[in-house]
Amino acid sequence: MQLTIERVLAFNGLDVLVARDEGLFEAEGLDLRIVAPAPDEMRSAADGTLTRPVTNQGLLVDRGEAGMFQG
Amino acid sequence: MVVCAALVVGPNSSVFTPQELAGKLVALDYGNGTAYAGLLMLEGAMAREAITTCGATSHGGDRLAALRRGEFEATVLQEPWITAAEKAGCRIVSTTFFHGTWVADQSVSPEAYAAFLRAITRAVRRINADKRKYVTYYLRDFPDYPELAGVTADDFDLNRVQLKEPGPIPEAEARWAWEWMSSWGVLEGSFDVGAQINRRVEREAHAHATVSAG
Repeated sequence: MQLTIERVLAFNGLDVLVARDEGLFEAEGLDLRIVAPAPDEMRSAADGTLTRPVTNQGLLVDRGEAGMFQG
Repeated sequence: MVVCAALVVGPNSSVFTPQELAGKLVALDYGNGTAYAGLLMLEGAMAREAITTCGATSHGGDRLAALRRGEFEATVLQEPWITAAEKAGCRIVSTTFFHGTWVADQSVSPEAYAAFLRAITRAVRRINADKRKYVTYYLRDFPDYPELAGVTADDFDLNRVQLKEPGPIPEAEARWAWEWMSSWGVLEGSFDVGAQINRRVEREAHAHATVSAG
């Protein structure tokens, strides 16, 4: 089985990073892939407003390049 | 994953409580959970019209650097930037915790999600058994970043590192979050549990995600 998720950092995905590094996904038969947008695609939250935020979360899921992201 | 967010002011700030941030500029990375955690902390301390915010980068290190330059009175940080801020003499005036929530599209099968959950559950148990060992991950995310110079694994307050085995999202919690965000104009329309949560996939995945103890 394969699952692609958007990149996480330790503050919101320490469990994912440890599971990856310690082979826990592999042990479950899961080929977990972690992907991130290209640097030039990254949008700055500073360009958004409270009611019209700018975020990179979900960008790759929207394009069909990942199946999950953490919101 | 449970995320810790802290409302932080600079070393020389006259602000010691969240109430004292009324009318003062607080930088938030709009669109991210940390920003909404910040709004919640402010909302608990003052009338909404007294909350004064500006947009900021989602990079906590850059927000911390801007705070230290005096570009705003306060910001909301997550780890490792909370620890870095304390090390730099900044002051925490409030902390809160919030759930990170996995959002999946329809391509994710219950079997794959169950395997993901089982691996996560095992990781949570390993981390909770030795948090100090794993806080190095917070530093690995930002190698050579100047605001982290001198920060070591021993500096982290482990009470801010909270992990919980994954479970289905309670409908009441999802509804409350939707309605609260709607009240700020971030979301439009009424909460529709059927549109937001695929209970069939969630149920099947969690039914196959049980991990025995040990």
